[in-house]
Amino acid sequence: MSHDPAIVASGPREAVDGHRVLQRAVGFGRALRKAGLAVDLSSEIDFARALGIVDIGDRELVRAAGAAVFTRRRDDRPVYDRVFDHYWRRPSLQPNLEGPGAEQRPEAVPADQGVPQEAPLSGDERSDLPDDRGGMPIPTDGDADEDELAPDVVTISPDAYSHSETIRHRDFDRMTAQELRDAERLVDLLEPRLELRRTRRYELHRHGRRLASRQMFRRNLATGGEVLEWVWRRHVRRPRPLVVLCDISGSMERHSRLLLRFIQALSASSAVKTESFVFGTRLTRVTRIMKDRNRDRALAKVADAVTDWAGGTRIGESFRDFNHRWARRTLRTSGVVIVVSDGWDRGDPRLVELETARLRRNCHRLVWLNPLAGTPGYQPLAAGMRAAYPYIDDFLAAGTVASLERLGEILAGGRGADTRRGSEAAAHVAPSPDAIRTFAPPPKVVRTPQDPFAARPLE
Amino acid sequence: MLPALTSTDAITEAFRERGYIADRSIATAVFLGLQLGRPLLLEGEAGVGKTELAKVLASSLGTRLIRLQCYEGLDVNTAVYEWNYPRQMLEIRLLEARGQADHATAHNIFGAEFLIKRPLLQALEGGADGEPPVLLIDEIDRADEEFEAYLLEILSDFQVTVPEIGTIRAERPPRVILTSNRTREVHDALKRRCLYHWIDYPSAAKEFEIVQARVPGAPEMLARAVVAFIHRLREADLTKVPGIAETLDWAAALMALGAAELTPEVVDETLGVVLKYEEDIRQVRGETVKAYLAEAAAGR
Repeated sequence: MSHDPAIVASGPREAVDGHRVLQRAVGFGRALRKAGLAVDLSSEIDFARALGIVDIGDRELVRAAGAAVFTRRRDDRPVYDRVFDHYWRRPSLQPNLEGPGAEQRPEAVPADQGVPQEAPLSGDERSDLPDDRGGMPIPTDGDADEDELAPDVVTISPDAYSHSETIRHRDFDRMTAQELRDAERLVDLLEPRLELRRTRRYELHRHGRRLASRQMFRRNLATGGEVLEWVWRRHVRRPRPLVVLCDISGSMERHSRLLLRFIQALSASSAVKTESFVFGTRLTRVTRIMKDRNRDRALAKVADAVTDWAGGTRIGESFRDFNHRWARRTLRTSGVVIVVSDGWDRGDPRLVELETARLRRNCHRLVWLNPLAGTPGYQPLAAGMRAAYPYIDDFLAAGTVASLERLGEILAGGRGADTRRGSEAAAHVAPSPDAIRTFAPPPKVVRTPQDPFAARPLE
Repeated sequence: MLPALTSTDAITEAFRERGYIADRSIATAVFLGLQLGRPLLLEGEAGVGKTELAKVLASSLGTRLIRLQCYEGLDVNTAVYEWNYPRQMLEIRLLEARGQADHATAHNIFGAEFLIKRPLLQALEGGADGEPPVLLIDEIDRADEEFEAYLLEILSDFQVTVPEIGTIRAERPPRVILTSNRTREVHDALKRRCLYHWIDYPSAAKEFEIVQARVPGAPEMLARAVVAFIHRLREADLTKVPGIAETLDWAAALMALGAAELTPEVVDETLGVVLKYEEDIRQVRGETVKAYLAEAAAGR
């Protein structure tokens, strides 16, 4: 950081220019921050230095330099490009930056030059940017952490907003006190029971089963290698990451309040890493929002971020989006996936089957919570449910808290937590359409025998 | 003599000489990394040439490449330094045998000659000629968060503290390249210390250049057909779309088989070089291959 070619190498006149460049860089950084990028002062300084060493007459070079400095993930790039085009479009800028004439015309570059260009961005926050996140309405209340949030709230499905979708805004805030208590009780039950994964890291532990040879050598050096003290180690264990995919389509409307509450409580807990997504006709990642410990605000933001409330369901497409774009980043094959859906699906059941199988191969265990499954005589006959059924390790009722308690047991890897079921089916799935059509498993419901309340759905 | 990498064009040129076709945005990111002394974090799908870039950079600068492959559980002992305990043990025994063991020797056995330097420490110490090496921290997303946190210190201060010896500081910081396949999100604190570049799949024209540079002797017709076919595959709904590495492997494989052009039969036989999932191969083999080839032929 100390050797700075842009500033150190410059004489007095360039130093003035350097100052101006810094102002521009900071202004640009501010515009990017407004647009939702996580920009800090050090990246603005870096950008100013970058402007000192690349040819600023070359617009694309400046763009590339800014991208290297300001973006931190791939999804930042489209936002960056839009702000860049917006901010650096004034043709007068480049001569000013390079120009010896700049000093004679100080009014050409007033200190707050960035402001008028930012103005369109700062008005109604980001919603002024034309359709920059696939038509997603971006939360606009002025919370300090809003800026951080935005890049994560990405509408996954790239296809354009379709008018045939029933768009409705769900009101979460009217949840009864009982429902609230139920959801939280559930998480309390779950937390201490999460299935642990043995990591590859070791910790010293008196009751470990392996010798910690390195530490043992070290401690026994004093006696010249005569081992007087034995040191043991064991694997560090951590809860497996959870990924929750929650159906918020029309048919799930009655149940989604409790379930989202449950997901929110899970996400806010620090005991386990939870990634959460909601889907109806498209998949929306809501992880960051759900982490908000203020549950009402969290759920209100989810309501804002999601555009396909209580519409139709496309399970297959949503799963495909997840498999393609998120599975590798969130699961690393060791996670537990919980799907919350009634399996009513308007799409192609073959796609549901294919993508569920793929999903199963990507995770450690696939749990499906179905609010209908507690109903007496329930059979997984809905087309989507039937297609997905063979690949599910645990199929559970999800109507009431009582019925959900079994989930804790499942996630703890305890009784009945057998991952062979789904993995064997997924290993044999044939991707050719014919093979899929002939694959018709006998539907069978996993009952929760110890739980008489399972038969009663919510409300 | 090696050219000085003092502009993006010089970098593009130096990389091209070594068979790496870099577009301007990559060259700019590398250039800024060198000039600002910042680590460069490269993300992109598997097989787009992230690791290769570090190798080419080292060779362009004429310095050593030090590579640290990350994995879960990677710890300080394998990444930074370790004491050579067996040697220390021997030394003590020897001294005892000679009757020289006393308080002073207890200090000596924690001297530099008993220190095993792992990649990060090697990178900080630099080469014999004083030129800072290129440090490649490969697939950082495979390491766990504990290691990432440790890296923060090294990447911001370029120094390591060994309790028995003291702080070892790099006189000239190494050029650091980090790569990630995005199997998980790298922590923001680490990203903040780095420049970032996402390497995308190249355009068809660029990929054709790459094939020509890396598979010398590949007939032009064949190379173009291979690139066109791969580009069509990347649009398909596959579990894992082929990267540049697969393109190059395929071109080489086709040459080894003496194939002069892409026919459906040849493609079907060699599809395993390009696609690495059984379901992908089954989906594409046969009719789809024919359709893609016909499309490519019509497009030409």
